[in-house]
Amino acid sequence: MYRFATYVWRDTIRWKRAPLNVLSTLVMPATWLIFMGLVMPVKYDNYLDFVTPGILVLTMLTSSLGAGSSIMFDKTLGYLNKFLALPSPRESILIGKIVFITIRGLLQSTVILIISILIGATIYPISTYIGMYLLLTLFGISISALGTTVALYLDNHDSYAAFQAFVSMPLYFASTALISLDEMPTALRYIAEFNPLTYAIDGLRDIAKGIIPTFSICFLIILAILIMIICSWKFRSITIG
Amino acid sequence: MTDIFTSKLSKSYEDVLAVDSLDLRINGEIYGLLGPNGSGKTTTVSMLTTLLSPSSGSAQICGHDVTTEPKAVRKCISYVPQYMAVDIRLTGRENIDFYAKLYGIRDKTERKRRVNYALDIMDLNERADDLTKTYSGGMQRRLELAQALTHQPKVLFLDEPTVGLDVIARKMIWEHISNLKKSGITIFVTTHQMEEAERYCDRVGILKKGVVIKEGTPSYLKSALKSIITIKSDGKMPNILPDNVDFIGNENGSVVYASDNGADILPSLIKKYDEAGIHVYSSMVRDPTLEDIYLMSVGTEAADTEQFNRAQIRRIIMKG
Ligand SMILES: Nc1ncnc2c1ncn2[C@@H]1O[C@H](COP(=O)(O)OP(=O)(O)OP(=O)(O)O)[C@@H](O)[C@H]1O
Ligand SMILES: [Mg+2]
Repeated sequence: MYRFATYVWRDTIRWKRAPLNVLSTLVMPATWLIFMGLVMPVKYDNYLDFVTPGILVLTMLTSSLGAGSSIMFDKTLGYLNKFLALPSPRESILIGKIVFITIRGLLQSTVILIISILIGATIYPISTYIGMYLLLTLFGISISALGTTVALYLDNHDSYAAFQAFVSMPLYFASTALISLDEMPTALRYIAEFNPLTYAIDGLRDIAKGIIPTFSICFLIILAILIMIICSWKFRSITIG
Repeated sequence: MTDIFTSKLSKSYEDVLAVDSLDLRINGEIYGLLGPNGSGKTTTVSMLTTLLSPSSGSAQICGHDVTTEPKAVRKCISYVPQYMAVDIRLTGRENIDFYAKLYGIRDKTERKRRVNYALDIMDLNERADDLTKTYSGGMQRRLELAQALTHQPKVLFLDEPTVGLDVIARKMIWEHISNLKKSGITIFVTTHQMEEAERYCDRVGILKKGVVIKEGTPSYLKSALKSIITIKSDGKMPNILPDNVDFIGNENGSVVYASDNGADILPSLIKKYDEAGIHVYSSMVRDPTLEDIYLMSVGTEAADTEQFNRAQIRRIIMKG
C-alpha cells in the first residue's frame, strides 16, 4: 500500500513545477477571505470569525473537487492506462490522489488561517486548530473521493467542469457559510440541513467555541466511508480486478 | 509454457465486434500485429494487459489468466501504450524512477542501478536530468521504453511504438526492441509500418475487422505471391486483366498487381492498357514485400481513417 506515496510524490512535483498553479491555489482563497471578511456588512461581533470557517470549507470544496479533474487528466492523457497495467495495487492510485489533494487543501487552509489572523480574527489555542484540521481532512477526503468517482463515470473535461460548477456554487450558497441556519429562508434551510458543507462549517464553528461537534464528525465520517466504498467499487469495475 | 496464449479471445463494444475469436501462441519472439485503423489492435493489447475484460474466450500471459489472475499477469508484463504519456514536468530520470518505485523496487541502490541501466540502454544518459518537456518525440518514446524496462518484464507490449517518429528514430527504437528480444523478452508489437515489421518481426499477424486473416513469418507470407508488377499510367485501369494477374491496390500513384510470373506476363498486361487506350508511363516487376501481402489482405479501402483522425486530433488538443 506504501505505493500511494509514489503517486503523491508525482502529483506534488507536477504541482510544484507549475508556479502559476501554486500561486493561484494559494492566492485565490486569500482573496476570497479578504473580500468576504472585510467588505461584507458587519452585524456580527466579528464577522471575520464567523465567515472564516465558510471560506475554509469553500476552499477545501473547490480544491477537493480538483481531484476529479486531476484523475480526468490522467485518464484522457493515457497515464491512467499505464498505471493500471502496473503490478502495484490499483487502489493506491486512488488513495494517492485523495491524499495529495487533501494535503494541498490543508495547505491552502493554513494560508487562510494565517491571513485571517493577520487581518484581525481571533487566535485560538492549538487544540482548536488541531480539531479544525481533523474536520477539514474528513471533509476533504469525502469531497475528493466524490470528485474522483464522478470523474470516473464521465468521459471528458467539459462534463466534469459542468459537474463542478453545478455542484459547488449551489452547495456553497445553500449552506451556513454566509448566514446561520435560523436566518435562512425556509426553502433554503431544507437544503442546508442536508448539505455536507453545513456540517463541516458548523462543525468548525463549534470547534472554535470549544465544543466537540460529535454529530458533524459522525456525519462526515459516514459520508467519507460511503463515498470511498462507491469510489473503489467504481474504480474496480472500470477494469478487471 | 507459452508466453502469450489466447483462445477464441473476443471483445465487442455495444455494436461493434472489435476482436473476433483470436487464437495466438507467442513465445520468445517479436510478434507484430498489423492492421488498419480500427481493426482491433489496441483492443487486443488492452485485453492482454488486463486493462479490458474480454467479452468471451480467454487469454493467458506467462501461464496466468488475464481475467482470474490479473495481478500475476501485471507482474510479468510491461506495457507502452499507443499514445505517449510521460510526465513533462518531471525529468527523464524522475520519470523512470517513478515507475521503478511503482514496480515495487524499494531498495535505493538497486533502484538507482536499474534506472541507470534503463537510461543507458535507451541512450538517454546525456539528457537524463532535463525536464521531459524538452525531449523530442523520439526521446519521449525511448523514455517510455526505459520506464517499461526497469521492471525486467517477461513480456513487453508495445502499441505502435514508432508512430510519428522520423526514420532514424524509428530505426533506433527497432534496434532496441531487437536487442531486448535477444535478452530473452517476448515482444508483442502493433504497427502500421510494413517495412519495419518485415525487417524486425519474427512473425506477424494481419488483423482485419478483428480477425487474424494471415499469420506467419514475413517470408512465409510473402511466398504466397510470386512477383509484383507496378504500373504507372495516366490514372485509369483497364477493365479486363490477363489471366493470372490480380489487382492488389494502389501505391504512390501506381497500380499494383500480383502474378505468378511477372516478367512473362508484363507484356500482355501492358497490351491490355494499350487496348483500353490508357497511356503507360512506366512499369516494373519486383519481388513481393510484406506491404503487398498486407494490401492484398486488408484491401486499400479498409482504413477507418475518420475514427483515427478524430482520436488523434483530440489527443493533440488535450496535450497542447
Ligand atoms: N471504448 C470503445 N467504445 C466503443 N467502440 C470502441 C471503443 N474502443 C474501440 N472501439 C472500436 O473498436 C474497433 C477497434 O478499435 P481499436 O482501437 O482496437 O483499433 P486499432 O486497430 O488499435 O486502430 P488504430 O490503428 O487506429 O489505433 C474500432 O471499430 C473502434 O471504433
Ligand atoms: Mg490502436
